[in-house]
Amino acid sequence: MSSGAEGKAKNRRGLSGWLNPYHYNFERWAYVFQRVTGVAILAYVIGHLGDTSFFVGGPTGTGPSESSWTFISGLVENSFGHLILILVVLVVIFHGANGIRLIVSELGLILGRPSPIEYPYRPKSLRSVQRVLIWVAIALALVGTGWAVLILFGGSI
Amino acid sequence: MKELRLVVQKFDPFSDAAPRLVEYAVPRREGMTVLDALLYARDYVDHSIGLRFSCRQASCGSCGMKINGRPRLACYTQVDELGAEKVVAQPLDNFAIIKDLVTDLGSFFQRHREVTPRLVRDDAQEQDHPTGEYLMKPEELSRVLQFTYCIKCGLCTSSCPTVATDERFPGPQALAQAYRYTADVRDQGGAERMAELDGTHGIWRCHFAGSCSYVCPKGVDPALGIQLLKRHVMSGRPPHSKDDATKVWKPAEKQQ
Ligand code: SF4
Ligand code: FES
Repeated sequence: MSSGAEGKAKNRRGLSGWLNPYHYNFERWAYVFQRVTGVAILAYVIGHLGDTSFFVGGPTGTGPSESSWTFISGLVENSFGHLILILVVLVVIFHGANGIRLIVSELGLILGRPSPIEYPYRPKSLRSVQRVLIWVAIALALVGTGWAVLILFGGSI
Repeated sequence: MKELRLVVQKFDPFSDAAPRLVEYAVPRREGMTVLDALLYARDYVDHSIGLRFSCRQASCGSCGMKINGRPRLACYTQVDELGAEKVVAQPLDNFAIIKDLVTDLGSFFQRHREVTPRLVRDDAQEQDHPTGEYLMKPEELSRVLQFTYCIKCGLCTSSCPTVATDERFPGPQALAQAYRYTADVRDQGGAERMAELDGTHGIWRCHFAGSCSYVCPKGVDPALGIQLLKRHVMSGRPPHSKDDATKVWKPAEKQQ
């Protein structure tokens, strides 16, 4: 028996434990999406800082010039660049709206109160206002994305 | 008779290099639980299946395992309710495997102990030599009642994405119990309990994925308890102050 401790396989899931929401609830999917979009937005912001500073100073520090402007707009002003920008809109709106839902939920405000349970049981915190707000976040993100598509591919404005 | 395909993840850390899935054919019958199927396989097909159970009625919390990908109690899950031809039984995630479906819950119980899961009172004398009772109003009881149903099965902790990456996180079970005692009007230990948990590896590591509440077989709703703890910390208002805790109520004949 005493050697048992070393023999046990650890089985802690690590990164795959939080990245994989399969078999779990809607909030878990929102959780994974929130974290992944958080990293994606960070990557975008760093890239965006790079390209705007490139325009303002240029790699040689000579200040704004027509050539640096042309270079940067050349990167974005094409279908692929537009597609990336549309994704950014989708992800930022969802992340922001879902973030507000999480802040309010984590203050325990939109989860309902503890109550005597009845069977068939469904946890109160997972059927409260907060769940509706996930759908609201998705809807807002889709509307914003639709708008972005209109602007970037609609030909007007 | 219809047959059930029962797949069990087998792994003996002493002799096996890696876990493997083994399939057994089990006669299927109405009302059969996954535990029934596993016991059939163990009794009639392969005696070496490592399996833990006791009460067979969702009371002891020892038969927790991952069934078709989701943590469940084997004795509380009917094969029919899974709606699948095949039942796959694997050990719970995030706990060390002792053998096959048996996991080591030692550190999990330790986390539970660390939140001081009992009523902490100033009147030690009264605790040792009771002269009366601590009464609760029904609404005070309903604040904590559902949290008292925890059977320490570990399903919530094995489903938690934070537990998967942070070894120092107490996990939903322990945090739900911290809420259960802190919100109990008879308790006076809330401040000490929360001082421990209001930190980087405490309640703030929970990001409300809600899986704990989703898998809990006893209606505990740990995610709700954890968010309510955060609310008490953020508002600076504990559920009740030390002085507001229930006083001892003595029967009339002892009151003079
Ligand atoms: S809170 Fe629920 S899932 Fe977690 S240990 Fe207790 S009974 Fe099991
Ligand atoms: S055997 Fe006791 S909970 Fe399943």
